[in-house]
Amino acid sequence: MSQTITAETGLTAAPDQVDPVTFEVLRSLFDYAAMRMSSILQRSSFSQILADNVDFSNAIYDSELRLLAQAANCPVHLAAMHFSARAVADKFGLDRLEEGDIVVVNDPYSGGTHVNDLTFMMPIIHEGRRIAFAVSRGHWMDLGGGAAGGLAGSTHVAAEGLRLPPLKIFRAGKPNEDVFDVLLANSRTPQFIRGDLQAHLGALRGAEREMQRAAERYGSDLLLAAMRQLIAYTERISRKGIEAMPDGTYEAEDWADTDGQTDDPVKVKLAITVQGSDITVDFTGSDRAVAGAINSPVANTAAAVYYALQFFVGPDAPPNAGMFAPIKIVLPDDCWLNAKWPMPVVNCTCITAGKVAAAVWQALAKAIPDRIIAPTFADANWFMATVTTNTGTTLFTDILSGGWGGTPFNDGMSVTMDPLGNCLNTPAESAELMHRIVYERFDLLQDSGGAGQHRGGLGSAFEVQFLGVGTLGIETSRTRSGSPGVHGGATSPAQRMLRVGSAGAQVIGGLTPDGDWKNPISGTHAFNAGEVFRFEATGGGGWGDPLDRDTAAVLDDVLDEYISREAAREQYGVVLSADGVSVDEKATASRRAQLKAERNSEHA
Amino acid sequence: MWRVGVDVGGTFTDLFAWHEGSNERRTAKVLTTKHDRSEGVIGAVIDAEIPFSEIGTLVHGTTTATNALIERSYPDAALVTTDGFRDVLEIGRMHREFLYRPYQTKPKPLIRRRYRFTVSERLSAEGETVRPLDPEAARAVAARIAATGIRSVAVCFINSYVSSRHERQMRDILREAIPDAEVICSGDLRPVFREHGRFTTAAIAACMMPVMHDYFDQLEHRLADNGFAGRLLILKSNGGMMSSRFARQHPEELIESGPAGGVAYAAHLCRSTGFRDILHTDVGGTSFDTSILPDGEPLVTRQYELEWDVPVMVPMLDIHSVGAGGGSIAWVDDGGSLRVGPRSAGSEPGPACYGRGGTEPTVTDANLLLGRLNPSLSGKFTLDTAAAERAVQKIADAMGMSLLEAAEGIVRIGCETMAHAVKATISGRGRDPRDFVLASFGGAGPMHACFVAQALSIPKVVVPAYAGVASAFGATALDVRHDLEAFHYTPVATADPQRIETLLGALEEEGRDRLAADGIAPDRMRFARSAQMRYMGQTYEVTVPLPDGGPLDDVGLERLGNDFHEAHRIEYGVSSDDFSPEVVSLGVAAIGVISRPTDSAATPSGSKANGKTRRVFFDGVWHDTDVYDGDAMGAGSDVSGPAIIEYTHAVAVLPPGSGGAVDHEQNLIVTLA
Repeated sequence: MSQTITAETGLTAAPDQVDPVTFEVLRSLFDYAAMRMSSILQRSSFSQILADNVDFSNAIYDSELRLLAQAANCPVHLAAMHFSARAVADKFGLDRLEEGDIVVVNDPYSGGTHVNDLTFMMPIIHEGRRIAFAVSRGHWMDLGGGAAGGLAGSTHVAAEGLRLPPLKIFRAGKPNEDVFDVLLANSRTPQFIRGDLQAHLGALRGAEREMQRAAERYGSDLLLAAMRQLIAYTERISRKGIEAMPDGTYEAEDWADTDGQTDDPVKVKLAITVQGSDITVDFTGSDRAVAGAINSPVANTAAAVYYALQFFVGPDAPPNAGMFAPIKIVLPDDCWLNAKWPMPVVNCTCITAGKVAAAVWQALAKAIPDRIIAPTFADANWFMATVTTNTGTTLFTDILSGGWGGTPFNDGMSVTMDPLGNCLNTPAESAELMHRIVYERFDLLQDSGGAGQHRGGLGSAFEVQFLGVGTLGIETSRTRSGSPGVHGGATSPAQRMLRVGSAGAQVIGGLTPDGDWKNPISGTHAFNAGEVFRFEATGGGGWGDPLDRDTAAVLDDVLDEYISREAAREQYGVVLSADGVSVDEKATASRRAQLKAERNSEHA
Repeated sequence: MWRVGVDVGGTFTDLFAWHEGSNERRTAKVLTTKHDRSEGVIGAVIDAEIPFSEIGTLVHGTTTATNALIERSYPDAALVTTDGFRDVLEIGRMHREFLYRPYQTKPKPLIRRRYRFTVSERLSAEGETVRPLDPEAARAVAARIAATGIRSVAVCFINSYVSSRHERQMRDILREAIPDAEVICSGDLRPVFREHGRFTTAAIAACMMPVMHDYFDQLEHRLADNGFAGRLLILKSNGGMMSSRFARQHPEELIESGPAGGVAYAAHLCRSTGFRDILHTDVGGTSFDTSILPDGEPLVTRQYELEWDVPVMVPMLDIHSVGAGGGSIAWVDDGGSLRVGPRSAGSEPGPACYGRGGTEPTVTDANLLLGRLNPSLSGKFTLDTAAAERAVQKIADAMGMSLLEAAEGIVRIGCETMAHAVKATISGRGRDPRDFVLASFGGAGPMHACFVAQALSIPKVVVPAYAGVASAFGATALDVRHDLEAFHYTPVATADPQRIETLLGALEEEGRDRLAADGIAPDRMRFARSAQMRYMGQTYEVTVPLPDGGPLDDVGLERLGNDFHEAHRIEYGVSSDDFSPEVVSLGVAAIGVISRPTDSAATPSGSKANGKTRRVFFDGVWHDTDVYDGDAMGAGSDVSGPAIIEYTHAVAVLPPGSGGAVDHEQNLIVTLA
């Protein structure tokens, strides 16, 4: 049995009613309103994860709750948010939300992803008429559960923190202090709750002000007509983008290393069918639901499909509900990508979404081989840690990005947040001001990009020293092997994590020097005062045959120490002169010929 | 003696000169000499027929540094940083500019990785030594840099905003190895917290130092060779001036050196017209700059980015720039919507009507077809109307519009893009555009100003007398200004007012020294104090002016707390007594007040000078439109729209229903219907 998710807007054939000039003006106004929300939320929030890491997203929805405009934040939030919005509508009914009501929801089974992502939603009313909704979703530091940030390696959603079905946290502009009290009583970091609430409120009000101003100037009839037209317009662009792909069915697989409970890899299998201007993504053949916390609720799985396709369907189209409309998703009922209560799901955004998106790109590599890029590192490598000294316990967090895949035109980006998000790192100076830790390292990791004619961007090496006892939970995968290449590009090296202490370095996640593999997400990792947590994030996959890479580019990579001399010789077949400042063209030609011959004999 | 302002832009070098005795004014516009921009500066002075020996002060704005930075055309510089942080400049904050573009790349690092070196050293966030600087490692790095021939080095250590003592040790070791090296210590340059912004700022200074040294050398030599013996002052990003000697040491302060002149002109207009809240808009060929001056004061930002994820941690005029100007190209996107910019035809090949090989339709082409631009542009060269028609017809065909509908649509959308940039600037400050008077600068400004104002529902527009050479005029109306800052973290509740007073006093003392070095007399020095504040637990700050009137006491502290709540409410729409305000750093603006061109310029008496008319297209129909000679319009004369007013260096377009009146300074004040 399976379930089909569609996202028709009812606007596909909506006629254009607004003149092109006013249309363009209002389009940019909607964008601006969403952008303004993000700027308010970042700069006025209290918790590090919102203010420093920008792990949040903001959007404007139209009066019928269709996504209208979004700020350039986390794609995995943005495409999942409309499931939350629908859950709110189902519970309260759109018409029964009043001016000044704000609904909060984080329930993974009511359109949420993991409980740490709270969604706030407020109707925007102009002269008694509902003209839009402002929606603000933020990742909160901690809402309880079995370990800081909910990263408990659990087998039940209850261990991941407090679940909030849609409920009114403001009623007609008045705060519902009872809900505040429940939040305050259930977090390890109650000190951030009121401040972050105020920041979300500021963001929603910022959007309200902009939209009401627009309604006043242009009239709400025109405003609503422009909204409908905008959504139809994006659908038109998206359908054109799909039509540019050849009809056919394209399959791919990718893997999560583990669910945290067993050491078995977990499979994503999908088939993309392109037919005219429609796309169906069918997950039949993916693994069944698992015991550990990498199961993905519908909203999260759909979000991953939507954002992965967006890169090649209409990257510059105004991002709104129109981009989802041509996409159909088929999910088997018993599937880790179709999580039901009470399955644990906390790792779904950072681990599972990335693998779904990587599988989508690998399937597209067969449909649009000349346009596809190689997969990214496909994890966020987000961690939540505690450090305890005699002055108390604090929670700190960071995101340890790797690289993006090589493209048909250039090398992939190094150390950039995975497509699933668009967060920022934690500055060392910010972390050290607030916590008893020392940031020892966050730099590029040599040879971590998949080799290719266009190489994968580099991953990173990160080290933090605990000055008190600590715990750390992390969301990571790609620890058995790295990001796959395309068109002959190489796979990047596997990620791994280590504990470094007086007794030396010990692998605590990923492949050990002896060839064992340690499960990185089975629970939290303990650190003693003075010990260092080291993480090696992988780069992106390579694009094209590394033996075709321009030798001057390889030389530059060696001079800048992006790659080692050994990698130049072994992976790219490029031999440098004795002084290392120029390419030995003759030795290179014979080295490349030799590597090609070895390859052919392996094939034979 | 003459006071001369010269602005070197991308295409033109503009000059405005004012004679302090006779009050005579002169202007000039010559082509920018890209191979050596100082040549154009000299050329402009010669063009204005001003003897070099009679120039008392020459104030100079230049985009030389900005261009060199954006093009990465400067000699290699090196970076020395803490072990583990070699790639802060390259990683940035890890986010991407375009959410869904698969082929995007990050900005090229300011300093190549091969010239980024690390040493063992470490201070804690409290400024304690975790690891001393390893002298052996430091000397080895210095030797390696010496071997590269690089002479410009940024030293950027983690937590140096608390203390730069390790950075200074490294600097001394570098100077031992490379005696003629320029070494920038990030903690001395800008002691701001969060490493990325401080490192990029220091790197920018290190990269720009040789470029600006060369530039100022050439300029000073050329000026001296021509007999100039006056004072040379340079426009800086914060809307003040500094001596060229200081500018050589602080090239990171030159990034907004070009547009700063326009903002200074806007501030001048606030004083001379009596309009308190002015919106500054400057339209060039490729870009549109805008900023606001509430109560006559320009706003200053601390969140400037040179390009994506390349912050510059220097207080700068809060100027918002977008790709919209006369050269912006119109296009039809995949969804069938008409768009304008941000791509521009630039000055090469330029708009289609320039007849230099451009075929794509631009805003200037559209203006020409609408009759708003004279085909024989100020008699200098003739525009190619047929080429403009061919270009715009492509849009008309794609959109199913007539040629003129398409042309009017292009101009309107171009103006809407500018209006949107204005909204982004103004609404972000919790203010309403309709409270402002729009002041229009730049050669292409007054042609669009009324339409931008209409899109914003702004009823009043000022076309200043020297709009076409606005930045050069503004350069003559500026004060000397230095912004100084000290890190001082304290909750307001437990703050020690005396300690704050001492720190501010030290900053004022440093400001006094700098002003004195710039040649400012003590009675012309002014100081303004501010604090960077936030709620305890927040990460970002809001700037709050400190109360005037004597040393800070407990009453003043309480007022500071209240002022912060209000500033937070204006900025973010919310504030609450649930949270406690705290101070993060203190700032002092040290200002040297300069005498300005007086208001009583001798204005001509004529009004309707040439009596010519021309057909101009407005709102879907042709209108017979009067054409005026703007330079010949005297105080008190008035015009009613539709009208075209041609100045030596600009053209103003007044739509039907509007009316204009010339004031005592020859500014045209337009009232829209």
